[in-house]
Amino acid sequence: MIPRHRYVIFLALFAAACRAGVPRAELPLPPPAPAPGDTTCTIAVGRAARRDTVTLAVSDPVDAGHAPLPRNDAERLVFGQLYESLIRVDCQGRPLPGLAATWEEAPGDRWAFTLRDNARFWDGAPVTARDVLASWQSHDATLAASLTVTGDRTFTVAASDAPFQRLADQALAVTKPAPGSGWPIGTGRYWMTSGDPASPDAFVAQPMARSGQPAVKIASGPTGGARDALDGGADVLITDDAATLDYARTLTGYVDVPLEWSRTYVLLAPGRDKSVIGDLRLESLREAVHGDARPAEWSGPGRFWFADLHSCAQAGRDTLGASARRHRIVYNQSDRSAADLAARLVGLGVLGRGAVAAGVPASAFESSLRAGSDAAYVLELRRQVYDVCRAALELPPWSSAATIEPLLDVRSHAVVRRGTPRMTLDWDGTLRLAPP
Amino acid sequence: MTFRARLLLGFGAVVLVPLTVFGLRIRAVMANRLTAEYQQRVAALVSVIRADLDRQSAGIALRLAALRDAIPRDNLFRTALQGGERTYLLDYAGDAMRLGGLSLLQIQDESGRIVSSGHFRNEYDRSDPAVPRLLATAPAGTALVEARTAEAPFLALARVDSLRVGGRRFTLVGGIAVDSSFLAHLTPDSELTVSVALPPDTSSGADPATQVVSAVTVPFVTSGDSARLLRARIVVSHSLASLVALRRGVALSFFVAVLVTGLIALLLASWLSTRISRPLTALAAKTADVDMDRLDVAFDSDRSDEIGALSRLLGAMTERLRAGAARLREAERRLAMGDLARQVNHDIKNGLIPIRNVFRHLGQAAGDSPDRLAAAFRDRQATVESSISYLENLASNYARLCPQPAGESCDVNAVVRETISRVSDTGQAELRLELAEGLRPARTDALVLRRILENLIGNALDSLAARAGRVTVSTAANGQGGVRITVADTGKGMTQDELNRAFDDFYTTKPGGTGLGLSIVRRLVLDASGALRVETEPGAGSAFIVELPGETW
Repeated sequence: MIPRHRYVIFLALFAAACRAGVPRAELPLPPPAPAPGDTTCTIAVGRAARRDTVTLAVSDPVDAGHAPLPRNDAERLVFGQLYESLIRVDCQGRPLPGLAATWEEAPGDRWAFTLRDNARFWDGAPVTARDVLASWQSHDATLAASLTVTGDRTFTVAASDAPFQRLADQALAVTKPAPGSGWPIGTGRYWMTSGDPASPDAFVAQPMARSGQPAVKIASGPTGGARDALDGGADVLITDDAATLDYARTLTGYVDVPLEWSRTYVLLAPGRDKSVIGDLRLESLREAVHGDARPAEWSGPGRFWFADLHSCAQAGRDTLGASARRHRIVYNQSDRSAADLAARLVGLGVLGRGAVAAGVPASAFESSLRAGSDAAYVLELRRQVYDVCRAALELPPWSSAATIEPLLDVRSHAVVRRGTPRMTLDWDGTLRLAPP
Repeated sequence: MTFRARLLLGFGAVVLVPLTVFGLRIRAVMANRLTAEYQQRVAALVSVIRADLDRQSAGIALRLAALRDAIPRDNLFRTALQGGERTYLLDYAGDAMRLGGLSLLQIQDESGRIVSSGHFRNEYDRSDPAVPRLLATAPAGTALVEARTAEAPFLALARVDSLRVGGRRFTLVGGIAVDSSFLAHLTPDSELTVSVALPPDTSSGADPATQVVSAVTVPFVTSGDSARLLRARIVVSHSLASLVALRRGVALSFFVAVLVTGLIALLLASWLSTRISRPLTALAAKTADVDMDRLDVAFDSDRSDEIGALSRLLGAMTERLRAGAARLREAERRLAMGDLARQVNHDIKNGLIPIRNVFRHLGQAAGDSPDRLAAAFRDRQATVESSISYLENLASNYARLCPQPAGESCDVNAVVRETISRVSDTGQAELRLELAEGLRPARTDALVLRRILENLIGNALDSLAARAGRVTVSTAANGQGGVRITVADTGKGMTQDELNRAFDDFYTTKPGGTGLGLSIVRRLVLDASGALRVETEPGAGSAFIVELPGETW
């Protein structure tokens, strides 16, 4: 018979050992003052000319209903001008002040934040710690529960196993509802005006402060219209269309700036059946798509984030039964690269003879993906995520027990007109017009 | 089977059978002519499709020839082959296919590796040498090919061509999609259907019973690793649905016509048969009324047809029968009178013989001993009186044979009661009366009726043979305006032989009977225009039923 106190000691030691085995995210150092010549994360083409309006042309659709969490490059570009998180993370992974001007370690494994003095919503209301709490409560209840308001502009957040940089996630941008408008009210340096009825695909964002910053006009149109946008004098074009890029390279007034490899196309198949994937020769996939692509590779430490979904407590188990799945590779029909990849996979005989590629509307794709009713799916995932487990929520619950085969990394290019104001590039690929 | 039924059947057969045969014949002729027309249309379309396939094949050949000339002149293509921009190479076939108006275009190198594919861009590097090889061996160089895409396979009419670039040989496989729009374009008529039947099942599912079918045979190259050159069929079928609908319409119309005609025929036949059978039925009823006692049935007819003739023949025949019956009655009467005379002679002789003997005895006594004459007279007086009585009785009986009835109103019940009252001795028999109240008077002579009743009641009482029994006399209306009188007894009844002879003159089964009673009754009843019938059963009794005509009010 073991005495009861020995149980207590044993359990205490075991808990201590487990606690020690999971390192808490360390508090990053305050950002260094940007060196005058540090242009690592800056896009500047020539000397910035003064302009009243900067036109950003995008080929993907922009949906205000998605704000503040972008679903594509166009929304990332637009939302990046409108909404702010507590911090930013530059392209080197360094935390930078965002809505929070400073942060420090607080007692009790907490981080203490102080909001920027001039932080205001678009409607002029100052941003308070309670606004941060209210915004987070609508986006991340767990995180909101760890927030303690300590002052009008100060609050603390419990440190967790997640990296500190996750606070830069656009999903945690501080917003509040805007009655009568599709755009939530943000705290960014631009605010979205009502659209132009004459051109419903164009949005105009005005600067919050009259500090010499130009207005931003976002023109959203089909890929075929991208070249027309360049001909029309767009200042920045975000595209991954090879033909458009070829055309842009012929224009002397524009510079093609490749952005980061921001997305990875994967083949997602229910079950851990490697035979489904076979011996894919990834190098043959690159030519299957028309954009800038490379065989999927992870250049950082560890593996792709989606390779470790099982470590997320909130990730569900594979609840899919052995029901017969349709023998097809499904993709979102509006994603041309996914269509090319699915066709190439069929051409290579993945899933065997008789398998077909099937492009379906976005809603049907989402429901099929959630149900796992098809043999495999081709979809794009973000390469860089601040919080793996948060990003995992965007995948179907059965993904943690599925085969996720990275296929291609793709990236967009920014075609920038000479003289366009300087822009900064964040770690997640967000482009922001830099203050003059 | 009745005459009417036969008439109906005959009429129906005469009308309906020709009509039905006519309808069926019309249907058959119509179906044959339409089917022949459909076959001509299908054959014509088959010829058109053959010509169209040849034209399409020539068009594909022209486009491939144009590509064969254009590709070697394309420096980017040439550069891409040598390791340059491969995307250009991969997209080349797609662009060329769309610009050339093709649905299928594949560029393969000499090893069969797909260099560029227009219909399935991303099948590059796949090896598929069989298709161009088999296409090259197909008749006229054209064949249906099962082409593969990422989404689904499709069928294409394809040709093959080749070219050389940079010292390397390349094969061009080009074609146009044979899809529903292509097939629909082939047929200008919505009733004509064009489909493709691929091996192994080349039946196309067309049912010859419902479609007119013809086909164009086309070489077919299967897909996959075991590609083979087989035969497919482009099947042209003409639906017989319109014909079937037409036949149904005609059948329905004829059915209605047959139904209406049959109904009219039925009514007509019924009317006609009634017209014909009614006088026949009436004639039959009249004929059934003819009897030896009733030969006064009239067969007069003013019809000029066969029925009138038949009626007149029957009338003549009845007339002859009436004359014959009269002669027969006269003969019978004469025979009866002869018999009667002989009987009277015999009876009178029987009555006179004792009298003659008495007088002979009295004469002898008067001659021999006159003093004994008185004694002798006294001795023989009874004999003389008996003989006289016998003769009187005999005379009375014969007088009854010839009554002189008077046609007058007669209260039957009163006559019955009076007659019964005269019956003095009924022995052990019970005499019962069941007289109907309010009975209509009969038209007859009361004396005649009393003689009838006396005879019948006397016979009934005699039939009881001094045994206990019952004699019932009842009267009732006979439902025809006359009077029915029934004299029933519970006596010994009659056998059939006795019944057959009961009404013969002088036939009797009673000791001392004259055998004239029932004969007289029968004659009296007939003379009164009445009827007499007997219901009898040996051992149970007899009932004599007299029907007399009623008095006219």
